[in-house]
Amino acid sequence: MASLLSRQKTLREWKLYFFIVPSLLLVAIFSYFPAASAIYHSFFDWQGGDNKQLVGLDNFKRAFGDTVLWDSFKTVSILIVFNLFKMIPSIAMAVMIHRLKSDASQYFYRVMLVVPMIVPSLVTLFIWKFFFDPNLGVLNNVLDFTGIKSLLVSLDGLFGWGIFFENVPIGWLSQPELILPSLFIWGFPWIGTVGVLIYLAGLQSIGQEVYEAAELDGVGPFQKFLYIELPLILTQVRLSLILLIIGTLQGYGLQLLLLGDAGGPGGRGMVPGLWMYNRAFIAGEFGYACAIGIILFVFILGLTYINNKYVRVDK
Amino acid sequence: MSAVLKDAVGSHKQRDWSKHVVILFFIIIELFPFYMMMQVSFKDNASFIQNPWLPTAPFSVKESYQTADSIETVTKERAARWSEVLTGSVAKPAGDPAYLGGEMRFDLGVYKLTNWGFGLTLIGPYIANTVFVAVTGTVVSLFLSILGAYFFARYKMPLSGLLWGAFMLLMLLPGVANIVPLFTLLKELSLLNTLWALIIVGIAGGQVFNLFVLRNFIEDLPKDLFEAAEMDGASHFQQIINVVIPMSGPIIGTLAILSFLGKWNDFLLPLIVLRDKELFTLGVGLIYLDGEYVKQWGQIMAAYFIASLPLIVIFLFCMRLFVRGLSAGAIKG
Repeated sequence: MASLLSRQKTLREWKLYFFIVPSLLLVAIFSYFPAASAIYHSFFDWQGGDNKQLVGLDNFKRAFGDTVLWDSFKTVSILIVFNLFKMIPSIAMAVMIHRLKSDASQYFYRVMLVVPMIVPSLVTLFIWKFFFDPNLGVLNNVLDFTGIKSLLVSLDGLFGWGIFFENVPIGWLSQPELILPSLFIWGFPWIGTVGVLIYLAGLQSIGQEVYEAAELDGVGPFQKFLYIELPLILTQVRLSLILLIIGTLQGYGLQLLLLGDAGGPGGRGMVPGLWMYNRAFIAGEFGYACAIGIILFVFILGLTYINNKYVRVDK
Repeated sequence: MSAVLKDAVGSHKQRDWSKHVVILFFIIIELFPFYMMMQVSFKDNASFIQNPWLPTAPFSVKESYQTADSIETVTKERAARWSEVLTGSVAKPAGDPAYLGGEMRFDLGVYKLTNWGFGLTLIGPYIANTVFVAVTGTVVSLFLSILGAYFFARYKMPLSGLLWGAFMLLMLLPGVANIVPLFTLLKELSLLNTLWALIIVGIAGGQVFNLFVLRNFIEDLPKDLFEAAEMDGASHFQQIINVVIPMSGPIIGTLAILSFLGKWNDFLLPLIVLRDKELFTLGVGLIYLDGEYVKQWGQIMAAYFIASLPLIVIFLFCMRLFVRGLSAGAIKG
């Protein structure tokens, strides 16, 4: 720990404050000021220029009656559930790699997992967009090739969805009903490099004697996971759970690029962040956009509070 | 680790291969986009439609057709199919009476290197802009955070607790509400449509996380080193240069990689800030590439691949840092 200083020494070391000033100034101007400005402007009718008009709570009243906003919250809740499900492969991958006996192959797989990171995430996103292309895309080709397409068509006939037809390419990103399924499939097999590496680091702390004891007791592989491995990476799992929920709640880059600023056909991919972006930069309603931002912020702050209170992350 | 102990992890040796199969299966799917990007970048649209999955064989087929008035013959060239290469005979297009015959020859011209030239001229300037933004931003950001972390870690100065709280509070503040006022702030500072906007906002945004990680690290450094340096009359700045930076190489490297990756992948802020094509960073450039051109997938994929090249170079040089540092840095964060 940093040592406590006598008054005299403090006076002599006053120059140290110069070390923190640049960071402090930058953070004050580019983080605190915009945040304060967002709160301030959420009470105004403001087009982004010099003219603004105080409207009190009108922006918030409007937000509570805004069906697009509430639908977007519904959509984002569904996406959060999807993303929770998508955590499983990373955990399974980490456990499988950890259980391998040879250190060399453990290291080899870790390197192989890092390789996808060298593709810029935007490029990955566009390659996935290309996979979803109705005519040339990989996804439709795979479905045709494996015969899953005809299965989908017959299921469609059975339930009357009206989505899949013989000889018509599936428009993954152009049919309103398929937007959410597309967002679910996106990123298959859902292995996050950083996630796997975090879990692996957590697993590394499991002592050999724990495994030996389990082996002696004749514990099966799944029970080993449940009773030995899961408890030890629970901290990391919780941490990434929280980060994931907050990230999904405020993220909108994926939807913006994949579906456009209106949230795709029928607005099915509209999330709160995207609606804020849309109101500010497409409709020019900066004041209202600030209000949406504040509402979103309150949601996230509430989640963070619940997290700190009930979900202890032991360091 | 001894073999006996190692055996206790997981199960018996003869069952390990099934895990290898599963892991490899997932890793292959994970690497599939990378593979597609690479092989499609050498194709034009025609050969891509003819053969979407495999790399093109180094053979081309010259097909001759009779024109409608039966006087001239027209020749068409296309890439050979793998089935043709393996059987050694050219396949006849079914039910085309004008088809006269075709011959196959070894030809490296089926690999469209022009895609790469096109990609490079298209994306090269964007890469230059991004390298400028990412390198400047990362270096300045880390330098400032090292100074700041030293302030917090070395002595407990009056007000330092309060200042620390002010930084850590930002960890809770989601950035999402900020983007609209940030845009108008940049407009007032007349930083809109400049690369400096991206650099400065990037530096400010990186401070909190970097400070958090670096403070813990510097506090764990042995106190004797600082005291010895102080005895020798080193100023605080000299202590940072001669003690802190050499001692915290790996953690600085990890933070640098994370910060560089973040800036390399950023597209939301550039999309809002930049208007002029000459200033585009990779993020915006790729978005416009996705929207603007008639899709020549080969050219697009070549451009994507070129966009990844700088990261591939970094990866090759710092692989150990990538793999070890990411896992270590991740726990601390």
